[in-house]
Amino acid sequence: MSEASKDQYYVPHLAKWPIVGSIGLTVTFLGAIQALNSETSITPWFMFLGIGIILFMMFGWFGEVIKESEEKLYNTQVDTSFRMGMIWFIFSEVMFFGAFFGALFYARTFSVPWLGGEGIGLTTNEALWSGYEGVWPTNGPGDLNGRFEIIDPYHLPLVNTLLLLASSVTITIAHHALRANNRKQTIIWLIATVVLGAIFIFFQAEEYVLAYREFNLKLSSGIYGSTFFMLTGFHGMHVTLGAIMISVITIRVIRGHFRPESHFGFEAVAWYWHFVDVVWLGLFIFVYIL
Amino acid sequence: MKYFIIVIFLFIVFSLGSAMFYLVKGKGQSQNTVRFLTVRVAISVLLFLFIIFAAYMGWIEPKQPPFLAPN
Amino acid sequence: MSQDITHDEVAHGHHDHDHKPKGFVKRWLMTTNHKDIGTLYLVFAFAMFILGGAMAMIIRLELFQPGLQFVEPAFFNQMTTMHALIMVFGAVMPAFVGLANWMIPLMIGAPDMALPRMNNWSFWILPFAFTMLSATLFMPGGAPAGGWTMYPPLVLQGGHNVGFLVFSVHMMGISSIMGAINVIATIMNMRAPNVGYLNMPLFVWTWLITAFLLIAVMPVLAGAVTMLLTDRYFDTSFFNAAGGGDPVLFQHIFWFFGHPEVYIMILPAFGVISEIIPTFARKPLFGYVSMVYATAGIAFLSFIVWAHHMFSVGMPLGGSLYFMYATMMIAVPTGVKIFNWVATMWRGSMTFETPMLFSLAFVVLFTIGGFSGVMMALAPVDLQYHDTYFIVAHFHYVLVTGAVYALIAGAYYWLPKWSGHMYNERLGKIHFWWSTISVNVLFFPQHFLGLAGMPRRIPDYSTQFAEFNMMSSIGGFAFGLAQVFFIYIVWKTVKGGDKATAQVWEGAKGLEWTVPSPAPHHTFEEFGPVDLDKMAHGKNH
Repeated sequence: MSEASKDQYYVPHLAKWPIVGSIGLTVTFLGAIQALNSETSITPWFMFLGIGIILFMMFGWFGEVIKESEEKLYNTQVDTSFRMGMIWFIFSEVMFFGAFFGALFYARTFSVPWLGGEGIGLTTNEALWSGYEGVWPTNGPGDLNGRFEIIDPYHLPLVNTLLLLASSVTITIAHHALRANNRKQTIIWLIATVVLGAIFIFFQAEEYVLAYREFNLKLSSGIYGSTFFMLTGFHGMHVTLGAIMISVITIRVIRGHFRPESHFGFEAVAWYWHFVDVVWLGLFIFVYIL
Repeated sequence: MKYFIIVIFLFIVFSLGSAMFYLVKGKGQSQNTVRFLTVRVAISVLLFLFIIFAAYMGWIEPKQPPFLAPN
Repeated sequence: MSQDITHDEVAHGHHDHDHKPKGFVKRWLMTTNHKDIGTLYLVFAFAMFILGGAMAMIIRLELFQPGLQFVEPAFFNQMTTMHALIMVFGAVMPAFVGLANWMIPLMIGAPDMALPRMNNWSFWILPFAFTMLSATLFMPGGAPAGGWTMYPPLVLQGGHNVGFLVFSVHMMGISSIMGAINVIATIMNMRAPNVGYLNMPLFVWTWLITAFLLIAVMPVLAGAVTMLLTDRYFDTSFFNAAGGGDPVLFQHIFWFFGHPEVYIMILPAFGVISEIIPTFARKPLFGYVSMVYATAGIAFLSFIVWAHHMFSVGMPLGGSLYFMYATMMIAVPTGVKIFNWVATMWRGSMTFETPMLFSLAFVVLFTIGGFSGVMMALAPVDLQYHDTYFIVAHFHYVLVTGAVYALIAGAYYWLPKWSGHMYNERLGKIHFWWSTISVNVLFFPQHFLGLAGMPRRIPDYSTQFAEFNMMSSIGGFAFGLAQVFFIYIVWKTVKGGDKATAQVWEGAKGLEWTVPSPAPHHTFEEFGPVDLDKMAHGKNH
C-alpha cells in the first residue's frame, strides 16, 4: 500500500525502528541503574550506549518520515494525525512539569509553613523543629547541606529571560517568513533562534557552576535546592532538545524542505519552542522572583 | 502584586493553549495559530518589562534565605 | 450502497490474506497493523494476568492459615507489591489498549490506527519494561516491597530495586502516553467521513475520554517517581521533612495520578458492557447521550477527588469535607450508567450467552464494589476502613468483577470476530459460573475481615480471622484455576470450532460486524462514507 493515493491514508509497513527504540530505552535505563547502584562512582558507559541507540533510532525514524513526507505520501489527514500527536505530546510534557511545579507550590504553601509551626504544624514544630521559622527559601529545619545563597534573579536569570523571549520573537519572525516563502529570511531567523538558545544553555550552565561553587546551593540543599535544580534542570534539558530540533529544521529549510502552505515539522518545533519559553517564564516568576 | 503577575502568566498560558487549538483546527492554513503565538510573545515581553519595573519600584521584594537576611 | 461497501470489504479481505507479512519478525516485531498489535497487547496482557495471578496464589496460600507457613514476610510484601503493579500496568491497562487497537478502527471505519509505527512502539516497550521490573525478583534484596503506591520513605528503603522500579514505571508511562495519543488521533481524525462524534459506539467514546485521562496523569506519575529517584540517589528533599519537604506530598502527587488511573481501568470496561448488553437485550442502549455525559462527568470528577485516599493521613478539616462530598458526587454519573444498563434490558428479548452473563455479573458485582466505595468516601468511617481488608475487597470487586469481567466478556464477545470461530458455549457457561461463584467466595468474606479489623498487606494474622481467610483462599484457588480453563477455551476456539458468520450475534449492531469473521488483515482501506444504518447509533440523533 505504499502507493498511497490522495484519498488513501498512508499506512506504513514493517516498522523496524520501534524495536530499536525499545532496546535503546532499556539499555539507557539499565546503564543508569548500574551507575546509580554502584558503590563507587563509575562512568555510565551503558547509559551513553543506550542514548546513542535512541539517537540512532530517532535519526532513522524521523529520516524515514521526512523522506515519505517529501515524496508526498502524506495527505492532509495524515498531517492532522501528526499535529494531534504533537499537541498531545506537548500537553503530556506540560503535565510532567506540572508535577514539579505542584511540588514547589505544595512546599511553599503547605509543608514549609507547617514545619515552621503554622496551622496544623504547631505541635510538630514545638516538639521536633523548635525554633525553625519556615521562611522560603529554605533548606528545611534540618539545615541540610548548610547555609546557601540564592541566585539573584536580576542578573543571569534576567538575561536568560531576555534571551528566550527574543528567541521566541525570532522564531515567530521565521515562521512569518516561511509563510511568505522567503527562505533566506527564514534561515537567518532560525539560526538566530538556535544561537539565542545556545547562549541560554551556556548561561544556565554558568549559573549552576556559580550555585555549586560560590553559593553552596546544591541539589541537596533541602527543598529549595531540590525544586530549583529539578525544575530548571528539566527545563534546560527541554531547551537543549528544542535547540537540536530547531537545528534540524534549519538544515531541512536549507535543503529546500517545507512549503508555505505545508510545513508541519516546522510548526511542531516552533510550538515546542513556545512551550519551553512559557515554562521558563513560569520558572522565572515562581522560582526566581516570587 | 504577586497575584497580578500570576493572572497575566495564566493569560499567557491561555493564549499558548489557543494557539495549540488552532494548530490542529486550522491545519496550518489559518492565521490564528500565528496570531495567538504573536499575542503570547507580546504579552510575555510586556510582563517581563513590568516585572523589572515592579522590582525597580520595590513592589516586589527580593527573597533571601532567613539566615542571610540582614537583621 | 451499504451492500456495495460490504461486498467490497469482503473482496478486499480475501485479496489481502496474502498481504500478511511472513515470518515471526516481520509479522509481529515490525508490524504496523492494528489487528496484529491488538493481538500482541491481548496476549501480553493475558500472560501478565497469569503472572500476577500466580503471585496472588502465593499470597492466598500464605494467608490460608494464620502463622507463617510458606514464604518469608519480606517475600510476601514483594508479592503484594508486584501483584498490584503487574495487574494494573501489565494486565488490565494493556488488555484495554489491545481491545482499543482491535476494535476502534473497525468501529469507526478507519483503515488503521492514526500513527501505526508509534502504535508498534507503544506495545514493544512493554515486554522490556516488565522484564526489567520482574527481574528484580531474582536480585539480591528482591523486588520492590513497599506497596504499588510506592510511598516514601518505605519504598526508598528498597535498596537496589528502586532504580528498576522507577525506570520501568517510566517505560510503562511512555508506552501508555503514546498509546493514548494514538487513540485520540484515531478517534478524532480517522472516523469515516459521515460518522459524527455522537454516532460513535460507546466503547469508542469511553476510550476517547480514557485517553485524555492517560495523557493528563501518566506524566504526573512519571514526575512523582522521578522525585523518588532523586530523593533516593541524589539527596533531594522532596519527601524529606528535615529538608522542608513532606512524605505526604508524594501521596498527593501519586493520587492525583492514581485516582484518574482507577477510571482509566474502568471507563473502557463501561464501554465494553455498553456494547454487549444492547446486543443480547436486542434493544438499543438506553440513554446513549447521557452515557457519554456520564463518562465525561466521571472523568472530570476523577481529577478533583484524589485525597479521599488519604483521609487517615491527616489534612485540614476543610480538605476532608471537600474531598468527601466531591467523592460522593461520583456516585451520580455512575448511577446514571447502572440505571441505563438496567433500562436497556427492561423488556428486551434477552438471551444469555457467555458475554452477556459476564456483563450481567459485571453490573451486579461492580455495583457492590461501587457501594463499598461510597461507604469509604465518608471521611469519618473511612478512618475505620483505611488499610483493612475492606479496602482490598472493595477494589477487587471493581477491578476483578469490574474491569477483568468486562475484559473477559469482551473477549468472548469479539473472539469470533478475531478468530473466525465460535467458542464452545457450554464451556463458556461453565467458565462463567465457576468464576462467578469462586470470585465471590474469594472477595466477599474480605469485607467481613476488613470490618473486623484485619489489616491489609500482612503475611500473618490473628486467629479470629482464620475461617474467613481460609474461605477466601479456597475461592482464590478456584478462581485462579478457572482462568487456566479460560486459556483452554480460547486456545480451542482459535484452533478450530464452528465457523462464525460476519454478524456473529443476532442482535449485534456496529461496523465491526459488517466485515467478515475473522476480520481480514486490512479493513476499510478506502476512506468513504459507511452505512450509518449498520451502526447502533448511526441515525438516532
